[in-house]
Amino acid sequence: MTTRIGRPLLYTAYEQDMSLLNTPAKRGWTLILGLVAVSLPFLLQDDLLVVMATAFVAAIGAIGLNIVTGYAGQVSLGHAFFLAIGAYTAAALSGDPDSTRLIGFGITSLPIWLLAAGLVAGLAGLIVAPLAARLRGLYLAVVTLGLVFIGEHIFKHWRDLTGGVGVGRPAAVPELFGIQFAVDGATFTKAQKLYLLMFVLLVIFGVLARNLVRSRIGRALAAVRDRDLAAEVIGVDVTRYKMIAFAVSSFYAGVAGALLYVMIGFVEPGSFNLAMSVQYIAMILIGGVGTISGSVLGALFITLLPRVTRELPAVLPFISASSAAGGITVFQVETILYGLLIIGFLIFEPRGLFGIWIRVRNYWKSWPFSH
Amino acid sequence: MSTVTAATKVTTIAARIKERAVAKPNVIALREKDLGIWQEVSWSQYWYTAELVGHALLALGIEPGDRVAIQSENRREWLYTDVGTVAVRAATVGLYPTNPVAEVSYLLRHSGARVLIAEDQEQVDKALAVADELPDLERIVYLEPRGIRYRYDDPRLLAWPDFLALGHEHRDANPGAVEERMAQTRPDDVVTLIYTSGTTGPPKGVMLTAANVEFAIHELVEHGGFTSPPPSSKDSVLSYLPLCHVAERIFSCWFGAGAGVCVHFAESIETVAANLHEVQPTILFGVPRIWEKIAAGVQIRVESASPVKRIVGGFWLRQADRLGGLLAENHGRHTPKTRLLYAAGYLFSYRALRDRIGVRKVRYAASGAAPIAPEVLRFFMGLGLPMHEVYGMTENTAVATANRPGRVKLGTVGEAHTGVELRIDEQTGEILTRHAGTFAGYWRDPDATERVIDPDGWLHTGDVGELVDGTHLRITDRMKDIIITAGGKNIAPSEIENALKASPYIKEAVVIGDRRKFLTALIGIEPDTVGHWAQLRRLPYSTYRDLSEKPEVIELVQQVLDEVNERFATVEQVKSFRMLPKLLDHEDGELTATQKVKRTAVAGAFAELVESMYGGGGR
Repeated sequence: MTTRIGRPLLYTAYEQDMSLLNTPAKRGWTLILGLVAVSLPFLLQDDLLVVMATAFVAAIGAIGLNIVTGYAGQVSLGHAFFLAIGAYTAAALSGDPDSTRLIGFGITSLPIWLLAAGLVAGLAGLIVAPLAARLRGLYLAVVTLGLVFIGEHIFKHWRDLTGGVGVGRPAAVPELFGIQFAVDGATFTKAQKLYLLMFVLLVIFGVLARNLVRSRIGRALAAVRDRDLAAEVIGVDVTRYKMIAFAVSSFYAGVAGALLYVMIGFVEPGSFNLAMSVQYIAMILIGGVGTISGSVLGALFITLLPRVTRELPAVLPFISASSAAGGITVFQVETILYGLLIIGFLIFEPRGLFGIWIRVRNYWKSWPFSH
Repeated sequence: MSTVTAATKVTTIAARIKERAVAKPNVIALREKDLGIWQEVSWSQYWYTAELVGHALLALGIEPGDRVAIQSENRREWLYTDVGTVAVRAATVGLYPTNPVAEVSYLLRHSGARVLIAEDQEQVDKALAVADELPDLERIVYLEPRGIRYRYDDPRLLAWPDFLALGHEHRDANPGAVEERMAQTRPDDVVTLIYTSGTTGPPKGVMLTAANVEFAIHELVEHGGFTSPPPSSKDSVLSYLPLCHVAERIFSCWFGAGAGVCVHFAESIETVAANLHEVQPTILFGVPRIWEKIAAGVQIRVESASPVKRIVGGFWLRQADRLGGLLAENHGRHTPKTRLLYAAGYLFSYRALRDRIGVRKVRYAASGAAPIAPEVLRFFMGLGLPMHEVYGMTENTAVATANRPGRVKLGTVGEAHTGVELRIDEQTGEILTRHAGTFAGYWRDPDATERVIDPDGWLHTGDVGELVDGTHLRITDRMKDIIITAGGKNIAPSEIENALKASPYIKEAVVIGDRRKFLTALIGIEPDTVGHWAQLRRLPYSTYRDLSEKPEVIELVQQVLDEVNERFATVEQVKSFRMLPKLLDHEDGELTATQKVKRTAVAGAFAELVESMYGGGGR
């Protein structure tokens, strides 16, 4: 279509207007971004690739939280609970069936345990959803907080499934088309394979979520978020859409949970605590509430942040690498940074990193005028 | 002088579109924004519908020489009707959608139109209000059924789909009837009546024949009288000025028929800026008012931008002025120096700026239909827009002179086209033209025809002008508008008025002073820009009148006037001015349909204001 080069707004069909990449420029930049992302495994060190892969998985989880909190406006502190359900469903399904200590079914095919993890978590979300239909704001936050504590208790004590505190169990085994992703291969290292796998999964789940939120369901969710009473009046079935939001969000959390420990290869039941939920909230707040690309940006930011702070002791002598050395440790710096960043973003740019990007883009898009 | 070999084979716009429909059936001919997207019409669909309109007109008993009127905004049906009418050897009569009832009545009665295509309820109401005085009017076809269908039961009314259904029936019963009629076309068939806007007296119907139109297409389109290289199917235009005017007809209809240019219809005159941005046409024609408005808009928006943008934008706008000056000195051609300067400006500002105002892809821009201040042209040249002032009038099918790409002289309307004989009357200084595009006469007004076409075939244009360097024509003013002061000085008011209108704050300026001791002016402000200016100064105002009578605004206008006065000799300086208390309007008879000021009407309507400037009875 040569007519639309330089004329991005000359839509001659609704398909063009509605398509995800509706201008030639967007198509071009997305292609470049995709190429860069695919070429990174051959440019970066393996340890950084593992961090990136973890960030991609976290992004899937953040997208999930953004659907329920950013789009549907239901504050959820229980994200860690759903991540845990996904992680253990996948680990149990692909676990060693001959093990006497742990439950295992030996199904190592990635699509099967990934889907199962999502579905089981989604089901759990569906069970919790009726609470959301009755509660709002702070009350809902407290109830979902309760979920995390119940979850923590169960996972600590259900040793057949989780292996128990301090012991844990092996994570899900990723195998697809006969390829084992979690071991070094002849042509690709483990990190390279995992990076590419997680990238592809993020693209798939990202596009699915993007299409969901710009459809009828997404508009209904936004209506519920903006004013549930008004949404009800214009014909949105609020209870139904709140349930959809929780189910979809939990599905994403389940998927993310299943993949999250594949990189380390080990799941520890103590990790699914409140701090993890807060971390995901930080991701969407810093990335951008109510945006898919913001979730991805936030997840990358939060996951890569520790990598940066680890370098601090070399630059700033008063920060120590471990608590034994005295002074302020990198872990404390990290926590302080989270806090400062969340406060800073809420005050100065509530739309998060995505909002900053929008501002930068609009500044240049409107050049040489201001509007 | 090239003559059209009319006697042997007559081509018409209908025949040309039929040819295109056969040669390139699936190439896009028209686009119109409807329900949010640009709906496309290919050449074969274009001809299919136009031929259907032809059949429908035959079914209604339209005979060769009959008139078919259309009163509508620019849209696909306008062109279908025009082409279909020409195909059955009838003549199209365009009415401005803004024409009030009285003028609609006059135009329909005078033209004796048998069929009227009316856009919507508003236009149908106008026609029905006077329909009983119009014995010739048999059918009113409406395009938009809203408010008409199921409510109006006048037997003359016919919906567009029913009209096309008539065409279908007729085509099935008489296949090839339209083509038969087309084959009988003679070069002296009147294909359209174009009513001149009539700044003085009632409008006159200019009869343009098939040969006239063919000459114009040959000269302006195929021969590349305007653009270089000539227009092709790769070009696109935006149709937004009234199609009843000869200028828009050239760019929307004849450029399409003659060269296959793709025509985009703007949604309405209010959305032109947005539509321009979407369409990014390659050829753009505008009347001075449009160019002035775009230039003023750019100025205001840069001024109100954030600090960095204001500084950078302002700097490059000043450079654009300088660049425009350099380009104008070199006849619109680049020198290495201007190329370098432009490249830098393109990077920092002009590319984005041109994109924002919708002219990034324009390879040829023209201003015509009224005189324009050279500063405005220079500004656009500096932005990298190949800007050309062109000249022509309905009576010579708009074929007279044009600034050719690379041979531009600012302040002139350019050189005569190749097939045009042009001379200046020695006594009166009037511009005369002679060529095959000279019209066949005024409809039902042979006396008026005799007054403008002399026995040798010279057309008296009514414009006074002179040749600059023996090639380029400079127009002084309309002959009737020349002011002779009480001191006996001849003054061309339009030059002063255009200099005033070049300011972004002034929309209308009417210079007065015929048989008076000194010149005065009535000034109408541009409400958008002055309103913005007032806002920046925290100057509260309510209505247009309130705003224009603020002492601060009067002072602002005085400043503009002082600057303009410096450029003129003492006798040509405007000594006093008054603010017009209202926006001039077509409905009130102060403007013509093409937004030209009717001087006598304005001077009459605001006689008190005028007299107050001359001290009550200062004659």
